[in-house]
Amino acid sequence: MDPTENPGRERILARMSQALTVPSAKHPVSGERKLIFAPITDPLDRFQKECMGNNTECVVVADRKASAETIAGIVASLPPGEIFVQDSPGLRVMASAWQAGHTLRWSTEGGPNEASQATITNAEVLVAATGSVLVSAACGGRGASVVAPIHIVVAGIDQLVPDLESAFARQRERGTLSRNSFLCLITGSSRTADIEKILVMGAHGPRRLVVVLSLKREES
Amino acid sequence: MSTAGEQFLRKAAEKSGDLRHRNLIRHAIDQYSSSVVRGRARFLDWEEARQRSHEIKWEAINHLDRYLLEFEQNVKARGGHVFWAESSADACKYIADLAIARKVRTVVKSKSMVTEEIHLNPALEKIGIEVFETDLGEFIVQLRNEPPYHIVTPAMHLTRADIAALFKERLGNIDTDDPQQLVAAARVALRKAFFSAEMGITGANFLVADSGMIALTSNEGNARLCSSIPRIHVAIAGIEKVIPRADDLAILWPVLATAGTGQPITCYSTLIGGPRGPNEIDGPEEFHVILLDNGRSDLLADPEQREVLNCIRCGACLNVCPVYRTVGGHTYGTTYQGPIGSVLTPHLRGIKEFQHLSSASSLCGACTETCPVKIDLHHHLLHNRRNAVETRSRSWFERMEFKLWRWSMLDSQRFAFLGAMARIGLRTINGLGLAGTVLDPARSWTRDRAPLRVPGKSFRALWEKQGKERNGSN
Repeated sequence: MDPTENPGRERILARMSQALTVPSAKHPVSGERKLIFAPITDPLDRFQKECMGNNTECVVVADRKASAETIAGIVASLPPGEIFVQDSPGLRVMASAWQAGHTLRWSTEGGPNEASQATITNAEVLVAATGSVLVSAACGGRGASVVAPIHIVVAGIDQLVPDLESAFARQRERGTLSRNSFLCLITGSSRTADIEKILVMGAHGPRRLVVVLSLKREES
Repeated sequence: MSTAGEQFLRKAAEKSGDLRHRNLIRHAIDQYSSSVVRGRARFLDWEEARQRSHEIKWEAINHLDRYLLEFEQNVKARGGHVFWAESSADACKYIADLAIARKVRTVVKSKSMVTEEIHLNPALEKIGIEVFETDLGEFIVQLRNEPPYHIVTPAMHLTRADIAALFKERLGNIDTDDPQQLVAAARVALRKAFFSAEMGITGANFLVADSGMIALTSNEGNARLCSSIPRIHVAIAGIEKVIPRADDLAILWPVLATAGTGQPITCYSTLIGGPRGPNEIDGPEEFHVILLDNGRSDLLADPEQREVLNCIRCGACLNVCPVYRTVGGHTYGTTYQGPIGSVLTPHLRGIKEFQHLSSASSLCGACTETCPVKIDLHHHLLHNRRNAVETRSRSWFERMEFKLWRWSMLDSQRFAFLGAMARIGLRTINGLGLAGTVLDPARSWTRDRAPLRVPGKSFRALWEKQGKERNGSN
């Protein structure tokens, strides 16, 4: 299985170069650039509205302490079992409030088990325009945001960006794309409309996506 | 053995008369249409979004070799493998050899039209591998041994009662037609597959050159499980899927979602580059990308039709096409159906056998108008018609017909003369009661339609007469 044994590669490349010696019959007429989306004036308001529209539960709290309490409330309502948590200093501090009745599995111990009741992670950024959460491999790995029936995201207001363009700009600045083998922009919870176009939530991924957003600017 | 063209005509006639089928498709596409209206309203300027998407794809396709090399280099730098497949057979062989070498017994797949194009499932099943389609719609059509009905909505032609009966028969332990419970049953059935499979196979919506990552969109999350849990991830995509920059996705993701389903953005828009990194918690040990040519470089060599490679497979042209809505997806007998399928298939599978698809269009232009990357679809159907005529031998009778037509169109007197002859001919046929019978030269039109009523005077005569009246009244 040596990928260098690929004689087709040179032939395809040669055909493409040959093909492109003749210019395309049509060239795009590039007029003056116009705005595609309306500018976002109040990102927090927009984020909350979009979350409402896409079935993300967005809980806005005052500070990180309140975030921990909110999550404790959600965890307490879950059936007993394992909860997978991204091993970050911030979540380590919060976790003391969640233990009752549940085992915590930290991401440093490996990926989430199939039977996890919930996963709790951080995010890279939140995108106001679409009400989305951007996670990377650094946020507990690939499985963390898809395996369990509930995914809880713990974020701070400084992570909120207005739109996709600014989200990509920030990732480029930080080198997130080159540092991670995986990124996912999550918008709402898993769904399907494959049966008579009827919307059903919770196909293969989480049925519930909860974003706990703290308004106080703190080191995460 | 009938030709693809004859089969198309037979199935089209059958499906057009199937009112249950037509109601089902109308219902599904009406839901889509109203969702798209809402989706487009979220853009300040949808036309600008189409224009920019068109420009991004134009840039990529017209520098395809350069961007693919950049993509390859970046994937390799991340520890992934890249294989260039000239044909379906090349691609299937690479995956089958890899599966054998790695002792793969079970494969989970997310929805990928390219794997349908290369007939990957039969190739893997032949070597004893069990393949699970994990997109719900694909899972359903796989259980029915059918090809996908639509490139975005594979089970559009089935009611929930059909699906309930199928699940009862094939999955057991379930007897309900509640969509929620049907989805739950499929989830349970497929969970086992996800956690036991050694290989996950996905397509790719975009290949991002500057980052060496593939972009995958999925609402259900199955593509994410396919690319996270098994120890090998294989992604296969046509060479035309490359885009220059990750930042282009800030436009292309919302545009694809809006055109495809009317959603602002797909639930999971994922970027994957390489296997599990050294400091990462999970992910596959191996990552392979297969770049499939399979006729695409020939299309690239046609400067007139090169832009067909801009297609992002959103399915919008199928939904708006009056022919697709009437004859349905399976009638085409092709991997890609509807207007884009009719344009593309003759290039991928031969113009001789698939030229009939270019004529299965009213040339209304709804496809061109809706295409999010601005492919001039209905003109490409015309180009295909012209190319088809040039490649086939025409009968003496057909050549004479067109000579006569040309002769008459070049002179108004000749045109009037032929018109008069045609009126006499039609009146005679109608008078003898021959309309629609085998003796009627216009039988292909009249056998299913009421006879043409021939007016007393020609258009020219009426025009002249009314002109005199108009002038007289002034």
